[in-house]
Amino acid sequence: MNDITEIRWHGRGGQGAVTSAELLALTAIKEGNIAQAFPSFGPERRGAPVIAFNRISAGKPIRSRAAIAEPDIVVVLDPGLLGIIDVTRGLRDGGVLIVNSSKGLATVNSEIGGPWKLAVVDATAIARDILKRPIVNTAMLGALIKATGVVNLESLTQPLEERFGKLSEINVQACSKAYKEAVVMEYSPGVKKAEKVYPIEKSLSWKELNLGFVVTEMGNARSYRTGYWKSERPVRDNAKCIKCGMCALFCPEDCIHQDAEGYFEADEFYCKGCGICARECWTGAITMVEA
Amino acid sequence: MERRVAFESSFAIAEAVKMADIDVCAAYPITPQTHIVERVAQLVANGELDANYIPVESEHSALSACLGSSAAGGRTFTATAGQGLELMHEVVYVASGMRLPIVMSVCNRALSVPLSIWGDHSDVMSVRDTGWIQIFAENAQQAFDLTLCAFHIAEDPAVLLPTMIHIDGFHLSHVIEPVLLPEQEKVTRFLPKYHHPFALDVNNPAAMGDFALPDLYTEAKVAHDMALRNSIKVILQVWQKFGEEFGREYSPVETYGAEDADILLLTMGSFSEVAMEAIDRLKRAGEKVGLVRLRLWRPFPFEQFRQTVGRAKLLIVLDRALSVGGPGPVCSEVQAALYHLKERPQVIGFIGGLGGRDISVEGFQNMIHRGMDKASQGKPGEIEVFDVREK
Repeated sequence: MNDITEIRWHGRGGQGAVTSAELLALTAIKEGNIAQAFPSFGPERRGAPVIAFNRISAGKPIRSRAAIAEPDIVVVLDPGLLGIIDVTRGLRDGGVLIVNSSKGLATVNSEIGGPWKLAVVDATAIARDILKRPIVNTAMLGALIKATGVVNLESLTQPLEERFGKLSEINVQACSKAYKEAVVMEYSPGVKKAEKVYPIEKSLSWKELNLGFVVTEMGNARSYRTGYWKSERPVRDNAKCIKCGMCALFCPEDCIHQDAEGYFEADEFYCKGCGICARECWTGAITMVEA
Repeated sequence: MERRVAFESSFAIAEAVKMADIDVCAAYPITPQTHIVERVAQLVANGELDANYIPVESEHSALSACLGSSAAGGRTFTATAGQGLELMHEVVYVASGMRLPIVMSVCNRALSVPLSIWGDHSDVMSVRDTGWIQIFAENAQQAFDLTLCAFHIAEDPAVLLPTMIHIDGFHLSHVIEPVLLPEQEKVTRFLPKYHHPFALDVNNPAAMGDFALPDLYTEAKVAHDMALRNSIKVILQVWQKFGEEFGREYSPVETYGAEDADILLLTMGSFSEVAMEAIDRLKRAGEKVGLVRLRLWRPFPFEQFRQTVGRAKLLIVLDRALSVGGPGPVCSEVQAALYHLKERPQVIGFIGGLGGRDISVEGFQNMIHRGMDKASQGKPGEIEVFDVREK
């Protein structure tokens, strides 16, 4: 590790990646270190891929405020991101990758192994069990601490209490459980990162822009697969459904449409898994399950 | 037949707007610009100009309405001054960023506080960085000519940028002078039709004024910057064409008696003609002085400027705006333009003519002598406010 440990968090809006980074910095500073936490600023949308960053140093001043391109540690809060974002991009040889996945260490290693230490934990299961909702940030902090020791587990308690108040106890539990359950595969030098092509959006040069930054491809958001963002999806019990359409009325994406039989069906391509349909359903016909 | 009339600059501008056959004028009256929009409203009401005149509740709304009309492909004009331009400020950036060729007369006015309705260049400098073309007129004839040319320049497919014609409040806006008005037919021939490549069209919808992530903002700004810098080619072409058609020549940097001068005075706007008188008197007394008149303020005509003043020994710059706690805006710009030249004139800056304060012919003579004294005393760096009472 260098004088300054650099950490990159990959998650989705609402999973708590930014909060994780903040809590980690608070904890590190409480322990007497110098630390920094910041998100990749942008439009805040629940479910959209987000990135957050930490820098931690024992004494060397932290001056860079730039996004971290070559992290020592990468934490992935959402297993669904592995297929669509190159989360290990720039991860240093001998660094640490911590992944939330239910697939187990061997499978995750075969998918995204490389010249780094790998830790895997089923943080979603832990969060569902203890927090009753799939917010995995505190569980992932536990896994991070186990795999890296950047801070001590006990030091995290006070920042968690200050942040979560009466919810802090279950968050401490989630964190401790993930600390215990995370499994770690040590770094073996010489292992190559698996070759994989990720979709890259080409950035335009100033000469390629339309005059006055005019956008002429109207409705181009239609091709934007927001369905990728979900960690949960709605499932309908036809026995309970009265075909009232309340779910469609409340769907903020307007992605629930009536089928030939009169049932209201969410379009998986756009459904972000927000769960509002399940909440608004009078008859309890809709439940959210893991995507 | 060309007509010779007595017009104040405000009416000369309104006449140019009429001859340019605009489609829309949205404006809010403010001193000293009131006569322009009042006259345009009158021309529309009389049926002499077939256009929509939109009275609005503020300058912010005035320019916002102009955005819509220009984006819909309408030839669009507005006018403002001082505080009005400040209230408009947010939309001033939007108009240029969206590349809408609105033509706006600005009757240069001081900014509050203290409240002043009189002229200086404080408002001009506050919109210096907004990405508009900014051109200065020195008399009523120029106000007419340059307004006409402004539509041609702004709407050129290679430019498509909004353009301000600056006339000094009261010193030009309210002063009656002789003006030559060309025949309408000749003006119609001179001015091409306006066409915007992304004009609003329900059958071909487009989004204007979109947002950019950090990934694209720089590129969008550079595209705008390059368009403004490159507009100078079209500005030169249009002024040349105007000269050929109407017999009056314009140039980004103009001079008066500067050919054999070691000492140059730089002015912008109506004070230039006053300064010419001072140059004449000093020349008669055998002094090697000349005048540089900066007609084009944005894009700054670096090349023409360096060619014009590069060989002089001393350049005295008058700023009609005070950048509080900083250098004179024109003076610092001029110094930056000259900095990389191996041989360059010494630059001495004055601030004067604020809030309608006159500078007379004698005043300019004194300013030039004061500048020469400072140069010989080796005190070029001190900012001096001309004609300020110390006690």
